[in-house]
Amino acid sequence: MVELIKKLVSLDAVSGDEDAVRDFIIGEISPYCKLSVDPLGNIIACKEGKRTPAKKILLDAHMDEVGLIVTSVTDDGFLRFNVLGGINTSALMFRAVRINGKINGVICGKPIHLISGDEEKKLPQADSLYIDIGAASREEAESIVSPGDRAVMISDFTVEGDKIISKALDDRIGCAILIKLLKEYDEYSFTATFTVQEEVGLRGAKVAAYSVNPDAAIIVESTTAADIADVPADKTVCRLGHGAAISFMDRATVYDREYYNAALASGIPAQSKEAVAGGNNAGSVHLSRGGVRTLAISVPCRYIHTNSSVAALGDVDAAFKLCKYMIEYIADDK
Amino acid sequence: MNVKDLIFELTDSTGIGNIRDAAKTAAKYFAGFCEMTYTDNRGFIAKIKGERDYTLALEAHIDQIGFTVTSVDENGFLTVAACGGIDLRALPARQVVIHGKKEVRGVFCSTPPHLSEKDVTFEKIGDMKIDSCLGKAAKDVISAGDYVTFTGKPFALSGDRVCSKSLDDRAGVAVLIEVANRFKNEKPPVNLAFCLSDMEEIGLRGAKTSAFALSPDEAVAVDVSFGDGPDIKPDKCGKTGRGAMIGISPVLSKQISDKLIKTAKDNGILYQTEIMGDSTGTDADVISVTKSGVKTGLVSIPLRNMHTDCETVSLSDVKSVCDLLYSYVKGGGVNG
Repeated sequence: MVELIKKLVSLDAVSGDEDAVRDFIIGEISPYCKLSVDPLGNIIACKEGKRTPAKKILLDAHMDEVGLIVTSVTDDGFLRFNVLGGINTSALMFRAVRINGKINGVICGKPIHLISGDEEKKLPQADSLYIDIGAASREEAESIVSPGDRAVMISDFTVEGDKIISKALDDRIGCAILIKLLKEYDEYSFTATFTVQEEVGLRGAKVAAYSVNPDAAIIVESTTAADIADVPADKTVCRLGHGAAISFMDRATVYDREYYNAALASGIPAQSKEAVAGGNNAGSVHLSRGGVRTLAISVPCRYIHTNSSVAALGDVDAAFKLCKYMIEYIADDK
Repeated sequence: MNVKDLIFELTDSTGIGNIRDAAKTAAKYFAGFCEMTYTDNRGFIAKIKGERDYTLALEAHIDQIGFTVTSVDENGFLTVAACGGIDLRALPARQVVIHGKKEVRGVFCSTPPHLSEKDVTFEKIGDMKIDSCLGKAAKDVISAGDYVTFTGKPFALSGDRVCSKSLDDRAGVAVLIEVANRFKNEKPPVNLAFCLSDMEEIGLRGAKTSAFALSPDEAVAVDVSFGDGPDIKPDKCGKTGRGAMIGISPVLSKQISDKLIKTAKDNGILYQTEIMGDSTGTDADVISVTKSGVKTGLVSIPLRNMHTDCETVSLSDVKSVCDLLYSYVKGGGVNG
């Protein structure tokens, strides 16, 4: 699993430019399922199991990650950009970036020595930041990049005991879990979707859910864990090392209560996501067509939406096991 | 010698506090043909005998910015103090290496969106925590006083520009190594001393003692200075790719500044001047007031994003500084 996650996060797929991750996933799963790619670029993968459940089950993970889109080039050869997805400005300042999966750059700024007073204490506006690719002129920059190119903040992939540190854990962890399910799980038939454009408004899942037309859905995600220094216990949302986080409600979805209870009672390490915060593809999926009973199984992730996200491998394993358990729970229509 | 490879090797080694890997990496390029003196402040001096009994010191600092651990809590979160000036606003969610009993990758805590206030302010380093990702086991590995440094592997940008942590002042160290190597088989007109000082980032301390120990007749400090960028006033910075920055300041020797400019002009070396209305903030400030006084100059490499893990320089500027100092030494220094 670690190796699979490592390969997935090493690829760049900012919303709307998911080709690299899609190609990799297709390479991994094509021997195990029937798959198609829809007009927006979602992968729809049908896995045939030993039994066909009474209810059609969809499992979803999104392929895209938060990042940047180049908007223009300045006369001095610097790049202006917009942020795709929710990224705190701190996580942009002085970060090494990779454009189009191959071009090195850095988000540059005024050194600490040249700022003072209030400027030193307050975050700059994101639109006052620029990418420096080393170009000495507009011409040099334009020969290397174009407006519309995507960029990510890069990161090493670090495994430290049970913890992993990387960019793009949201939601390559979900992709890895679905890939492993497609490869290894064959009790019941299910459909997996690897979707595009989650970070810019849950768009890919909207059309994928329409095409699949499921009765029940499991969204496999990563979610904010605030079990960090100086955060009171009632604000931690969920905690690393305590199993998969199960949502009862977030900003986009009220989840199916029965599935929520069943997941928590499964005996597999799981915890309630104790906040009505954030949102994921469930927001699109549960409102698809005439409505879909929906569950979210998330891996707790500290510093999500940054290139230093931290998750626990034990929680990934719990989420994987819980996906299998819930497929069978739903299939058996308990 | 490939200057890019040299710079990458130097920035990839650590030099802070008790960790002297950077000094060891640098020393191997001087050992063999220089007379080596290791100073008690963890830097070193490498000497090459010249024609004349007059010592010209070229100086760069070997230490880097970073942090030192001040406490470790039961959940594996650390408080730190800064070693050098660091932009607190850019720390959240930034990865670091914690040099404990083993090297551990940590992350500066970042307030999650559901808890972050609109007008968040960054007051002091003591308010920030590092997540060691070790949980309860952290106390077995990390102790107060351990050092923490940025990650930031070196990489190439477009053209001849490179990006890395610690280019301040390993780019200067690379210049000293390159100049020394040009005198490997050629006796300089004056005695040359290459002074690699520690503890610059915490108050120009190492240069104070190494300059005292050496007592040079003349010194030129080699450091980095602010490179240009969006929203940086042109009079506050040098232009990246436009050559060596020759320092002019009331605390620097005017004769040396003038001689450096003349040397650059005579030899067709790309240069720009850096005019400072006060002290320079570099080791030149303390070297110049050593013992009964040392005539001191300053040559800098324009560097973007100073004191971050993605500092950027142009290799052509590094080469201009090498060429300038080589020609300056060949010309016998300020009195040559």
